[in-house]
Amino acid sequence: MNREQLFTIANNWFKSQGWKPFPFQTQTWTAFLQGKNGLLNAPTGSGKTYALWLPIILNYIKENPNYKTKHNSGLKAIWITPLRSLSVEIKQAAERVLTDLDIPMTVGIRSGDTSATERAKQKDKMPDLLITTPESLQLLLATKGYANTFKNCSSIVIDEWHELLGTKRGVQIELALSRLKKIAENLRIWGISATIGNLQQAQEVLLGVESEAYQNSVLIKAVIHKKIKVVSIIPEKMDTYPWRGHMGLHLIDEVAKIIKASKTTLIFTNVRSACEIWYQRLLEKYPEFAGEMAMHHGSIDRETRLWVENAIRNEELKVVVCTSSLDLGVDFAPVESIIQVGGPKGVARFMQRAGRSGHQPGKESVIYFLATHAIELIEASALKKAVENSVIEDRIPYLNSWDVLVQYLNTLAVSDGFYPNEIFKQIQGTFSYQTITTENWNWILNFITQGSQSLHAYDEFKKVEIDENGCYKINSRMIAMHHRMQIGTIVGDAVMNVKYVSGGYIGTIEEWFISKLKPGDTFIFAGKKLELFKIRNMQVLVKKASPKKESKIASWMGGRLALSSQMSELLRKELYRANTDNLSAELKVLQPLFQRQRKESIVPSSDEFLIETFKTREGFHAIFYPFEGRFVHEALASLLAFRISLLQSITFSLAYNDYGFELLSDQEINIEAVLDNNLFSTEYVHHDLQKSLNSTEMARRKFRDIAVISGLVFTGFPGKMVKTKHLQSGSQLLFEVFRDFEPDNLLLHQAYRETFEHQLEEGRLILALERIANQKIIWKQCLKPTPFSFPIITDRLREKLSSETLAERIQKMTASYMK
Amino acid sequence: MKIQIKDETFILHPSGAVFWESKKIIIISDVHLGKVTHFRKYGIAIPQNAISENFRKITDVLDYFEPEKIIFLGDLFHSSKNAEWDLFEKWLSNHNQETYLITGNHDIIDEKHYKSISVIVIEMLEIEGFFFTHHPTEKDNLFNFSGHIHPGIILRGLGLQSLKLRCFFQKPNQMILPAFGEFTGKFILKPKSDHHIFAIAGNEVIMINKNN
Repeated sequence: MNREQLFTIANNWFKSQGWKPFPFQTQTWTAFLQGKNGLLNAPTGSGKTYALWLPIILNYIKENPNYKTKHNSGLKAIWITPLRSLSVEIKQAAERVLTDLDIPMTVGIRSGDTSATERAKQKDKMPDLLITTPESLQLLLATKGYANTFKNCSSIVIDEWHELLGTKRGVQIELALSRLKKIAENLRIWGISATIGNLQQAQEVLLGVESEAYQNSVLIKAVIHKKIKVVSIIPEKMDTYPWRGHMGLHLIDEVAKIIKASKTTLIFTNVRSACEIWYQRLLEKYPEFAGEMAMHHGSIDRETRLWVENAIRNEELKVVVCTSSLDLGVDFAPVESIIQVGGPKGVARFMQRAGRSGHQPGKESVIYFLATHAIELIEASALKKAVENSVIEDRIPYLNSWDVLVQYLNTLAVSDGFYPNEIFKQIQGTFSYQTITTENWNWILNFITQGSQSLHAYDEFKKVEIDENGCYKINSRMIAMHHRMQIGTIVGDAVMNVKYVSGGYIGTIEEWFISKLKPGDTFIFAGKKLELFKIRNMQVLVKKASPKKESKIASWMGGRLALSSQMSELLRKELYRANTDNLSAELKVLQPLFQRQRKESIVPSSDEFLIETFKTREGFHAIFYPFEGRFVHEALASLLAFRISLLQSITFSLAYNDYGFELLSDQEINIEAVLDNNLFSTEYVHHDLQKSLNSTEMARRKFRDIAVISGLVFTGFPGKMVKTKHLQSGSQLLFEVFRDFEPDNLLLHQAYRETFEHQLEEGRLILALERIANQKIIWKQCLKPTPFSFPIITDRLREKLSSETLAERIQKMTASYMK
Repeated sequence: MKIQIKDETFILHPSGAVFWESKKIIIISDVHLGKVTHFRKYGIAIPQNAISENFRKITDVLDYFEPEKIIFLGDLFHSSKNAEWDLFEKWLSNHNQETYLITGNHDIIDEKHYKSISVIVIEMLEIEGFFFTHHPTEKDNLFNFSGHIHPGIILRGLGLQSLKLRCFFQKPNQMILPAFGEFTGKFILKPKSDHHIFAIAGNEVIMINKNN
């Protein structure tokens, strides 16, 4: 069949659905059928799924002219999705085409939720089209004889590539592709990505640097103009606006008005605990929403989440309170309004959420922004600007993630073993490891075979063994089992399953939260009031609690988001306008706050850098306002604290938010010395930062993930009893052992490097310092905390830095004794 | 740091060991030998140098106090017998002190192996009003030395400062020793008003001030 005939099949099918293919869809079909690889840039809800399912099916028809009568079995295509909850939707889309066109192809899902029997069945006979996750794909590579499974696979699609790029799951995909390219000769590789700043780079990361696959590839952009309207929810009276985050509950009545006026509303919160609280409060204040209201976040049982998603589609719900768990995937046509509670911190995320509403063509997407505290309103007006000018952030890919490489090599060693020369070449072709040296490679090989030691007579290290042919293999069944259990790069806090005593699974909760409760205590989780009955075998058994009992609301640690550099720049510009007559609606509302601020201090203009100092019961505070976003402030705070600690023997506790940072100490900080010694200098920044890192906990925290991914910390199955307690150790402890006894360990170095590149963003830091160098420093000695300082000084998540000796510090400290 | 208990003098050493001056006994708890090797055997690459550090530390303490007796308060070995046993055997052959092991929950190596290298294995030991166990134990009129818990303490100060340190934890009739071994964690305890805390800060042992 020629291309024209194939296209007729596709066009007819579209017609039968009452649709007409978009240009980006036909462009993708053509490129795919020409045997090209590519990246498709299309947003959720644009028909991107059919842009790639159809040519995959057409290609099968082309290669099997008698496709209706003879089924040629075996794996033909893989569809990777970052969220397993999306796989059902994708499967339905594929099956719809197959049924209508009467093609006897099978579609299967393989993810963490797939039952063992189903997986065993797939092992015997793979479906034609397999929908899976990055982790499950790695697990397939950990299966004996995997090369045979993939041999005839002709296409792999990485959906939501922008979500994976910039994470270690993306690196996992890069590695898997480097292998699949070699074992499946005719493999086409396609990615689907929402709009990000570095699309071209995304394409290169997916296909490999200067690779054959990249040479033979296209970038297709879906041109879809969608209007987005941003509306700030502004209270009538401003005096009541809190100075720091209180979940924004003071605006609950305004929110209820929006809910009542639209068919379906999604309320996005930034963290799961805020989601729980909003759900609870809405229900308390507006009991009429009961039955038409639901909650959706990542820790809630999967069945419940699926039910919620379906209910949205069937227009059964008026309002859903959710987190990023509803950011991706499935279309919800009935959604009319989106409310974002608290700063979304990034333009891309905000626009994606906005895009969840108004799915009908030509319809405008409306997103309401609810600032949880006063200064966040500035963020709101900055966001409006960002949406107007389509400012979109980059996703920065990870480089040289040794932990992921170690895991991958163990994966290959678990299945059929590997030959280093062959694999080294494949790895060098990936974006992530393009600069790997032979020295690095040898270190990694030594790490997995000899535990990074030279051979000792009494050493009993055992992991990967080298057989007489030079093949690297894991032979111990127990080590292989441990490894399979641990495949993955998402490292969370230890979680426990929450279940009713009478049976029935509710969701998962972090161990640290439960450890603070005693049996009989009540807590709110998944919108339910629960009484802790007991904890057994890593399971939290609960009963329904009496509604009158006082209870805590479940919370999760979760990552804090930081403003992107694009957002911080817009935010600064917006704030500087506060001293002009050109005020946005949001800034006008903030006038009372600015007046309070000016009473004690100033609202800085673009040529001013503000420092405030004051004393409270907690000690001596110094607050600096670069308005550069949390990550840069984290770096600046450590840098400055370190430099001051060279001038005087002092201990600091550091806090930061998106607007500024605080150095808090038990002794007065000599600001004059800071200014006289030019402590904001860009000279020796790298060196000083490195030094300051040794005195803070940042690298240590990064090391935790690295230790888990590389298999140094054994976690076992989430939620399942770990029987191997003898093999458990804290990553803190590991960090210290490596630092003291093996300082040249590459994984340890990686912890520092990642802190620099992904946490501290050294590049942005230097730009910020250069900017500060051109500003006039205004030092205000205040009598009490200012409105700007308030959200920072009340933050309790703090970093420490000290140049005092332990003994000096202990003398000034006490332990609290129980009465 | 020197302290008095029942008119006897004990020295709390920053390594985590306690020296009973008049009896010339050194008391050491929770060394967890073999832990590094145990991990390595299961494919977890903990640096091997951490092994020799344990032996170096014990040797330093013995050289410093020159005791006549050693009492290990349990969890001397982390798990089953492995290559570190040979190192221990070799190390012990260079020391001629009378050596006791009070068995702890981790001590699963058969007694006969200890016997063969002249280590006396017992469940508890009583010497002139003092009573040595692995798990903290209360017994009338006897003062108990124990380990097991790996005690640690959190200190707080002005400027939202805090510190976590290993410590000796003293109750009215009990002294719980910190874990001696490298590569062992700590468990944070909250003291009551009649407890005394001696924290280990580098090369010093410092008595902690109570707040209120």
